[in-house]
Amino acid sequence: MSFQPAKTGMTDPPRTTHPTAAPTPAVSSGLGDRRAQTRARSVTLRNLHAYYGDQHAVNGVWLEFPANEVTAIIGPSGCGKSTMVRCINRMHEEVPGARAVGTVLLDDLDIYGDGTDVVAVRRAVGMVFQKPNPFPTMSVFDNVAAGLRLTGTRGSELRDRVEHSLKAAGLWDEVHGRLAQPGIGLSGGQQQRLCIARTLAVEPEVILMDEPCSALDPVATLKIEELVAELSRRYTIVVVTHNMQQAARVADSTAFMLNGELVEHGPTGRMFTNPGDPRTEQYVTGKFG
Amino acid sequence: MTPLAGIGARRRRSDRVARTMLAVATGLALVPLVLILFYLVKQGLGAWSPSFFTTDPSGRFLGDPGGIRSAILGTIEIVALASAIAIPAGIGVALYLVEYGRDGRFATAVRYFVDVMTGVPSIAFGLFIYITLVLATGFGGFAGWKGSLALALLMLPIVTRSAEVALTLVPESLREAALALGAPRWRVVARVVLPTALPGLVTGVLLAVARAAGETAPLLFTATIVKETTANLAAPMNSLPAQIFSDVGQAQDRLVARAWGAALTLVVMILVLTTLARLVSRRSRIA
Amino acid sequence: MPEARAHFRSELQNLEEMALGALDMVISTLDRALEALEHQDVELASLVIADDDRIDGRYLEVHQGILSLLATQAPVATDLRTVAALMHVIKHVERMGDQCVNIAKLIPLSGHHPPVDEAIIERIEKMGRLARSQVSQAKQAFALRDAALAEDLARQDRQVNRLNREIFAAALELGEDSDAREWAAYMMLVARCLERIGDNAVDIGEQTAFVVTGLFREFSDASHAAPR
Repeated sequence: MSFQPAKTGMTDPPRTTHPTAAPTPAVSSGLGDRRAQTRARSVTLRNLHAYYGDQHAVNGVWLEFPANEVTAIIGPSGCGKSTMVRCINRMHEEVPGARAVGTVLLDDLDIYGDGTDVVAVRRAVGMVFQKPNPFPTMSVFDNVAAGLRLTGTRGSELRDRVEHSLKAAGLWDEVHGRLAQPGIGLSGGQQQRLCIARTLAVEPEVILMDEPCSALDPVATLKIEELVAELSRRYTIVVVTHNMQQAARVADSTAFMLNGELVEHGPTGRMFTNPGDPRTEQYVTGKFG
Repeated sequence: MTPLAGIGARRRRSDRVARTMLAVATGLALVPLVLILFYLVKQGLGAWSPSFFTTDPSGRFLGDPGGIRSAILGTIEIVALASAIAIPAGIGVALYLVEYGRDGRFATAVRYFVDVMTGVPSIAFGLFIYITLVLATGFGGFAGWKGSLALALLMLPIVTRSAEVALTLVPESLREAALALGAPRWRVVARVVLPTALPGLVTGVLLAVARAAGETAPLLFTATIVKETTANLAAPMNSLPAQIFSDVGQAQDRLVARAWGAALTLVVMILVLTTLARLVSRRSRIA
Repeated sequence: MPEARAHFRSELQNLEEMALGALDMVISTLDRALEALEHQDVELASLVIADDDRIDGRYLEVHQGILSLLATQAPVATDLRTVAALMHVIKHVERMGDQCVNIAKLIPLSGHHPPVDEAIIERIEKMGRLARSQVSQAKQAFALRDAALAEDLARQDRQVNRLNREIFAAALELGEDSDAREWAAYMMLVARCLERIGDNAVDIGEQTAFVVTGLFREFSDASHAAPR
């Protein structure tokens, strides 16, 4: 089975320097302290299939998310975009009866390889959900610190990292006076940025965003979109979105999915002015019902 | 306009009839409740006195009958031990059902059996412990801890069911958020699910405790009734329901009065517990 | 099943009809200008000049409609290219209208002198017919989204350019009489207007190709030497 590149305009993914015959090491061993570096990892999907029991939700996707770029995934409801993205941080398998088959590489580490630590994968690949979900029993500070406490970070280092994450999420100015107040007391847009700060605190390399703005008002949406552009300098970002205008504003490249398959993938500008596949053209111009 | 006015009047009439019927039904339901409370207070308050709470039943039919100190303390001891057994076990089963077993076959079977247990009459638990632990040779006779066991069996399905509800109410999105941060599932349960479900769990536990405190039948066959205050759970122990049971049938008015007083005490204790449960559940709410 | 975005589709359709309808207006204006030129009809010429207001009005209508559509409907892909193309098309239409006005303005000036040179007159008439056919073909190519038909406009345009050069050369030859030279000069200006109309038609053809292929390409750049 030969490697099948994504459609029009997409270059081949970079050749890896390590032979893929050898079993890849556990992801945790490849992850060090990220604070010094700014280059994130790329993500590569090779022939990815995902199932919910018998239902074939993702059907043979080959796709690359280049490092430090924002890639948007668009497509109608039920096309499998959320499912595909959840395979990248191995959250898909948390659904009873769900499984994923294929290869997902973080740079050249296969996260589905034998002996890979799921927990370490999820620390390297963070996720922001559609509806903001701060922990209700925790304060703003504790929410951001939640992930850090799991790894045993304590004391002043913890405080520094929390402050740093809140600043990176653009929330510090608004909450530094009320860190002890409950996280759920913030507005919707602030809660979502709190969730982003919580994800950033663990210092992932890749951030997955599943329709991050669909529950927010336009002003909050704009703030988060600006944040995404800012964050892409340090992280690789994948955004699933229903809103094509958002994909157009935010993403370097865009992938269109339909019925579990990847139809087309290319630079965002081209996808929205001159798409190659007629199905993309139909979806993007709204000719779908 | 006239037809509209006609319809309106008809509707208002039937509305009034329905409201009146509902009010009557509510009143009918409330009447026995009010009567019980009224009688309890009327008959029981008279028996209350400082010595009522500080002396043990004397066992004498004539003269001073004594108080109910041993019954109060006994109830507290027996129910405390029962809770110590039933609460961890019940929450543990609920955790298994919600977090790990989910819709699996074994989990479904467990859920079914727990449901069955909620319907078992309390006397059956008492009899079970009686036959297995009291009558059987080598185990000694009545004892407080055997009463605790019977009550624990009673409490277990109640705690499990209410804990299951409380845990299920925790939104899946919170578990997802914690898992996505890179936490193993047990940590997610301990640090996120349990704290979030805590108000509901506490409410359920307190209600189970209140229920157990009032059960008579299991204790009659297991802890039986004694007069003295004792801290020895390995020996027969007094309890409020048992004391009431014993006193009510006596001919002496003062003993009957003591029974009313004990009943009022028990109701007040349970009232305090349920009020606590409501306060706890109202204070923290899941977003 | 009701078509998605029916309102948007009909608005876009409407804009296109208005823009292409304006091309019809240009054709009729050009016809009248050429007729006025042939018969030295000053009154008809002033009518042509006055009528240009209609084309200018149509330009404003389409322009405003495009802005409104961009703001409210956020068109993408082919729709976006169509809207962008219509913006260019209506601009070229307006220019063509102006060129017809320029021709009409020249008529009273040249009217005092009887036509002198048959060769020049013949070529002017031929240019007029070609320009008219170019405008008509540009409209058809856009309406049908026919890129090949659009490219053919470049071929016709080469003929128009050739005729223009011939008129220029012939005018230089008219040495004898200052009146004749003056008339010839006006004819050169008329030829120039017709040539510009042809160029605008070719530009519309380029927009058609852009809508169809997604690539903008000049058919024959004025800065490059045209073949033959």
